[in-house]
Amino acid sequence: MDEFEDKEIAKLLRLKRYEQPPPGYFENFLHEFHRRQRDELLCQPLWRICLDRVHDFMFRLNLSTLTSSPVAAAAVLICAAVISLKIYQTPGPARVATEDRQVFTGPANADVEWTLASPVTTRVFSTRPLHNSDETARTQRAATLPRYVLDSVPVSYETTFKF
Amino acid sequence: MNKPRTDEDQALVSRTQAGDAAAFDELVVKYTPRLYGLVYNMTSNHEDTNDLLQDVFSKAYKAIRGFRGKSSFYTWIHSIAVNMTLNFLKKRGRRFQLSLDDVDASVQNDKEFLEATATSSPVREADLSELQRRLNEAMMKLSDEHRAVVTMFHIQGMPHAEISKILRVSEGTVRSRLFYANRQLQSYLDEFRKNPVA
Repeated sequence: MDEFEDKEIAKLLRLKRYEQPPPGYFENFLHEFHRRQRDELLCQPLWRICLDRVHDFMFRLNLSTLTSSPVAAAAVLICAAVISLKIYQTPGPARVATEDRQVFTGPANADVEWTLASPVTTRVFSTRPLHNSDETARTQRAATLPRYVLDSVPVSYETTFKF
Repeated sequence: MNKPRTDEDQALVSRTQAGDAAAFDELVVKYTPRLYGLVYNMTSNHEDTNDLLQDVFSKAYKAIRGFRGKSSFYTWIHSIAVNMTLNFLKKRGRRFQLSLDDVDASVQNDKEFLEATATSSPVREADLSELQRRLNEAMMKLSDEHRAVVTMFHIQGMPHAEISKILRVSEGTVRSRLFYANRQLQSYLDEFRKNPVA
């Protein structure tokens, strides 16, 4: 039979056992393995190191119910979800207040809106949300004329000299 | 190749799980030569083999706490090595460089090797060397899965049952892959037999 038989193939393939790495490779392999492990540790983020430490601690405590990491992770997630719900749950009125809070808005065009009145009297308060502030300011300006208040009494409209 | 004693491995695994890193070092030393042969004959490249082996042991060290002993450590570590190598080969595709030509000096003392070469003439030696080269090329023409089976069965000397556990396929699948791979190797090498020196 001309063809290679199975036994012949097997015999040839067995010779491949002797294809070996360079001398000293196996002796150095462990050192290389340790070096890579150290490098990996140095590259790990802090949270990962903490997680590993916690995992080690749990494992050493031999808590049979928590040794399974999926169970522990699920428990932690549920706790975190419950706590976050409690913390962020706020009463209703507070929410209304935040939506309808009064927003201070300055004059639409500060250069044009000069007034002689004291700053307190010229401030415009809007009870609408911020996005309507320009519109409010415009309607108020149209409805009321600008007031000019003089702080001091005028010298006089009467003649000062009587003859 | 003889399978290492699993009770010894189990003791080392338990010590590693308890935090004894030196115990894992012993496992590394014990399994490196065996896994080297497996990965090397699948990748055909020394550098790739080295990187893969480092990754295999690194992954095994991280995962060993989850090892419950349902299979032996031998099967477990071989599964990791084979799966990582197959994944690597899929990513690497057809880009590779053969470096399968380093025959160890200890081969001179091997009975099988002596049988194959001692009675040979220089022409036959040249043929044998060429045949080995052709064999390596033929191996690389096999699919990754077929090469894995051939490597484990013919080169590593593992039984079908062990290979089926490592690959998580049935023994029938292992036998059929082996049969198909042998036919392919035979046809590649038969061409060489008909035309010994190209």
